[in-house]
Amino acid sequence: MSLGARIYAELRGDKVIWMIVAVLAMFSILAVYSATGSMAYRLRGGDTESFLVSHGMKLVSGLFLCYLAYIMHYMRYNRAAPYLMAISIPLLLFTIFLGEDYNSARRWLEIPFIGINFQTSDLAKLALILFVAREVTKHKDYIKDLKKAFMPIIVPIIVVCGLIAPADMSTATLLLITCLTMMFIGRVSLKYIGLLILLWIVVFAILIILGDFMPDIIRSETWINRILHFNPMGEGIYEVEQAKIAISNGQIFGVGPGNSIQRNFLPASHADYIYAIIVEEYGLVGGFFILGLYILLLFRVTSLITKSDKSFGALAALGLTILLVLQALMNMAVSVNLVPVTGLPLPMVSWGGTSLLFTCVFFGIILSVSKFVEGGGFTGAVATGGGLKSSSDKKDDSRAEGGNSKGQQSGGGNRDRNRGGGSNRDRNQDGGGYRGGGGNRDRNRDGGSGNRDRNKGSNRNK
Amino acid sequence: MNIKNEVLVRVYIVLFFMCLIAMLIFGRAIQISVFEGEKWRSQGNEEHRRYRNVEAERGNILTENGDLLATSLPFFDLAFDPLSTGMTNDDWKFNIDSLSYCLAAFVNPDYTPGGWKFKLEQARLDSNRYIQLKRNATLAEKEFIASFPLFKLGGYRGGLIVRQHYERETPFGMLADRTIGYVRPLEGDTTYIGLEGHFNDVLAGEAGRELMYRVGSKHWMPVHNLTKIEPKPGRDIVTTIDINIQDIAENALLEAMQKHQAKRGSAIVMDVETGAIRAIANIGQRRNGKYWEIYNDAIGTATEPGSTYKLAAIMALLEDGLIELEDSIDLEGGVSQFYEEELVDAVAHGLDTTTVWRAFEVSSNVGIAKLVHENYGLTGQGDKFIKKLKQFHLNFKTGIEIDGEPKPYVKEAYSEEDDWSGTTLPWMSIGYEVTVTPLQLLTFYNAVANDGKMMKPQLVKEVQQYGETVEKFPAVQIKGRIASKNTIAKAKRLLEGVVENGTARKYKSDRYRFAGKTGTAQKDYKKLGDIVSVGGYQASFAGYFPAEKPKYSCIVVISEPQVGGYYGGSVALPIFKKIADKTFATDVDLFKALNGAQKPILARNQLPDYDVGHRQDVQTVLSYLKIPFETRTSNEWSVIRATEADSLKLLKRTISEEKVPNVVGMGIRDALYILENLGLNVEIQGYGRVKQQSIRPGTRVHGQTIRIRMG
Repeated sequence: MSLGARIYAELRGDKVIWMIVAVLAMFSILAVYSATGSMAYRLRGGDTESFLVSHGMKLVSGLFLCYLAYIMHYMRYNRAAPYLMAISIPLLLFTIFLGEDYNSARRWLEIPFIGINFQTSDLAKLALILFVAREVTKHKDYIKDLKKAFMPIIVPIIVVCGLIAPADMSTATLLLITCLTMMFIGRVSLKYIGLLILLWIVVFAILIILGDFMPDIIRSETWINRILHFNPMGEGIYEVEQAKIAISNGQIFGVGPGNSIQRNFLPASHADYIYAIIVEEYGLVGGFFILGLYILLLFRVTSLITKSDKSFGALAALGLTILLVLQALMNMAVSVNLVPVTGLPLPMVSWGGTSLLFTCVFFGIILSVSKFVEGGGFTGAVATGGGLKSSSDKKDDSRAEGGNSKGQQSGGGNRDRNRGGGSNRDRNQDGGGYRGGGGNRDRNRDGGSGNRDRNKGSNRNK
Repeated sequence: MNIKNEVLVRVYIVLFFMCLIAMLIFGRAIQISVFEGEKWRSQGNEEHRRYRNVEAERGNILTENGDLLATSLPFFDLAFDPLSTGMTNDDWKFNIDSLSYCLAAFVNPDYTPGGWKFKLEQARLDSNRYIQLKRNATLAEKEFIASFPLFKLGGYRGGLIVRQHYERETPFGMLADRTIGYVRPLEGDTTYIGLEGHFNDVLAGEAGRELMYRVGSKHWMPVHNLTKIEPKPGRDIVTTIDINIQDIAENALLEAMQKHQAKRGSAIVMDVETGAIRAIANIGQRRNGKYWEIYNDAIGTATEPGSTYKLAAIMALLEDGLIELEDSIDLEGGVSQFYEEELVDAVAHGLDTTTVWRAFEVSSNVGIAKLVHENYGLTGQGDKFIKKLKQFHLNFKTGIEIDGEPKPYVKEAYSEEDDWSGTTLPWMSIGYEVTVTPLQLLTFYNAVANDGKMMKPQLVKEVQQYGETVEKFPAVQIKGRIASKNTIAKAKRLLEGVVENGTARKYKSDRYRFAGKTGTAQKDYKKLGDIVSVGGYQASFAGYFPAEKPKYSCIVVISEPQVGGYYGGSVALPIFKKIADKTFATDVDLFKALNGAQKPILARNQLPDYDVGHRQDVQTVLSYLKIPFETRTSNEWSVIRATEADSLKLLKRTISEEKVPNVVGMGIRDALYILENLGLNVEIQGYGRVKQQSIRPGTRVHGQTIRIRMG
């Protein structure tokens, strides 16, 4: 068996998402190598290879992290979410006051002893999405209740976004939109979501006013400039013009890999404007392909939630996906001058140190979720009451779900049971290859909790 | 609606919106690439952007101890872009009035503040994105203008366009100007002169690159900090030049040039042990009669040297063992016949039979020429003589670090190509039918002074970057020994004899001894039948000092003096003497303290009792003179008390910084420094040390005039 085939057989989870990760990583290598052409020349006297090696190393370690995140059972993220939040908030505070200035934005924190800078907002993004997914699923039965369900979700969102906002309004807004979308999908009342948006506008206004007094900490001046100066034709703004020149150079099929001319003229061509360089080198066809990859990701993950509407895993995966895809769309929208400059990288593709690693972790979690849902799913577990022989996934999920649902949702349960049959069919088709080792390990790990799960399951039946 | 469906519907709504955004993005890409494609592609061509070289800061040329001989000063062209991309309407509104005021007040008063405002607002309306403010502003002016309202917002927001260029400055003006040289691009052909030219690769650095994009029809603006490749500044070169000696040599030469109305003159001072050139002055007369460093004759002009070459001739004879200094020789009263040519001694001496030594001292052409003629010419051994000259390295370039050094000319023995004739040898022996540059001849004299070790003349001792040494050029010995010890010792005695008893005796010094040889050469000597025409004279003196332990060698060459004589001894020698005197006076290594011997009676009365001075200076002087002293203060100023016969005490002298201090006992330098720094006007009478001051110590200072009497 060839190595490729072996990996393919070993890897469970959604094969399409795996492919998307692989193709994006390939594009990343090509585009970053090309775009750093001019930067490498500037900084290291023409040694483009050193950038390639450095970026390649990051990608490799990213994919390794992705794999680690993938083999972890996704319910562990559920348990970790509150702790991650507890770490993130102080770190964000710390960054605001003591972080590293880079390009006049204070977003970075140095990890002591290693000397690597990372954006604390990356960690906070992960923490918040997992946390929101957890809270929404936890309170889903009375999700429309303001005090009991809405407040515990909303407070952390406002706190985290509010802490990211001073130095990085784009990320904060993106994160907020993602959380809102997750809440929307989690059936939170539109009324409350509207309330949250209003609240955010108030926070934004306060930050702008405070920005006058603390220009070092709050970059309100930059936001206002960017917004006021945004003009859809991009006349006279150097970067915008250069990005448009890049896109127009590409025409239909592009100028070919490594032949970009605009990389020499376009600032941050390896990060903010990488999409423009991709379109220049691979044409509208290549641009459509990349755009399509992200949309495909969205569709694949969406199908998870249609298989299981109430799982923490599905909602977390969807939340992470929405964040990634929204960020990708934002980045591309900047390149084509639909929105003002945001400074958001293209996930998985842009040159960009530690955020790339976090993006890989995001993918790992999404894949971890897909592994279990694909396998036949949690809905199936409910349907068969945990009686299936290879029920590790089911058990795990039913524990989480069941523990929280307190048996108030029999209607839903029935429908799940119906869908369970479908999942079984899926399982059969996929064959046993991926079930062996992984399945056993999971079973061992979670074996002890099986009884408890069953008890809770019976609770529900009361 | 049941929960499952509610979730699904909401998911689909999200999906729908995101697909919509994706379609918008792609639609926009199509719009840019296809519908607006032509426009953007044409924006991308070279008409709209180009790279500009960013000049690197040229390295400095430094003296031996780090003073600047040549340096680059930055200058700035300043302009304003009223439509700069980062500038908001509010920025404009809040600042335009105060900016206009500043521009009118400090930059260009041709416009009133109102006029400036109108001009700027008009430019903003007309989309004129380049308004010239000031050309060639200095760094301080640029910083000041950059601090104006609006401009101080910086970068794209402030709209100030700054373009930098460098101008080369030589802070010491004329001093060694030609040796420092220049690099001047001239219609595609660059001239490289002097050290600037020779070390251009080191000094120039590497130009950087900056992307410029076009605004309006003719102006280009730099793209801030984006694709800029910073230039690499050039490295500094540290020369061997001692600016004090250079100053002495240049001024002594200039004075003499003016006095004698000479055409050209050069002077070089070389460190005997290392060959390091401490001073090199070249002065020429311009058409308007003024003098300046015009051409590097010291290095670049080879002439017939005349009598200074006699040293080589006599050393050849000594080295070949053909003569002794005590041998007698008939000078024939100063006139002799060689074939058809008559040779006359330049200065009448009336000597007939005398010693070789004496013939050299009086610089007898007849004597030297006869010796060479008889010992080499008549025996048909001209090749042996030429061989000796080559042994003395008189036919090689020195390899000095300045381009354009000619090869000295020495005829090949009996070569028809070189027009060798019977008179060639005698004439060569007295410095004709050969050419040599002043530096080449000095290198030879320096070797004699250095006990026969010939050092390569050196102008640059190291290359530095940011004050750190990058490359060192150690002293190079060209030849182990150009002649035997014996010959060198005799040559030295001859050169000392010239000063003791010969053509240079008038300038003998009682403070130190020097040695050397005068030279007077006829230039452009032509003989048509009986009519002899002389194009002018070249007076020279080459030698070294102090004679016992040579530290510096020096050559002075003056070409075509018009007034006040033309002999080496009366034109060039005084310059040499002045250089030697002053160099001697400023170099503490050259003299010894006199107090080694027994002290004179009344020595105690000569001790500087009650003298006041800067404590550290006083300590330095007393230590150097080995006078024992005791310091009893750490104050900046001190007063010296001679309490016992041999010992001094340094006591505290308080100098107030607010009230008139007591300056009695101080030298004029210290007194002036202190008083003028307080804001007092100082009138001085007499000389010596301050005896009296017209304002009592402790009086309040309010710009009065203080009279100090010295004595």
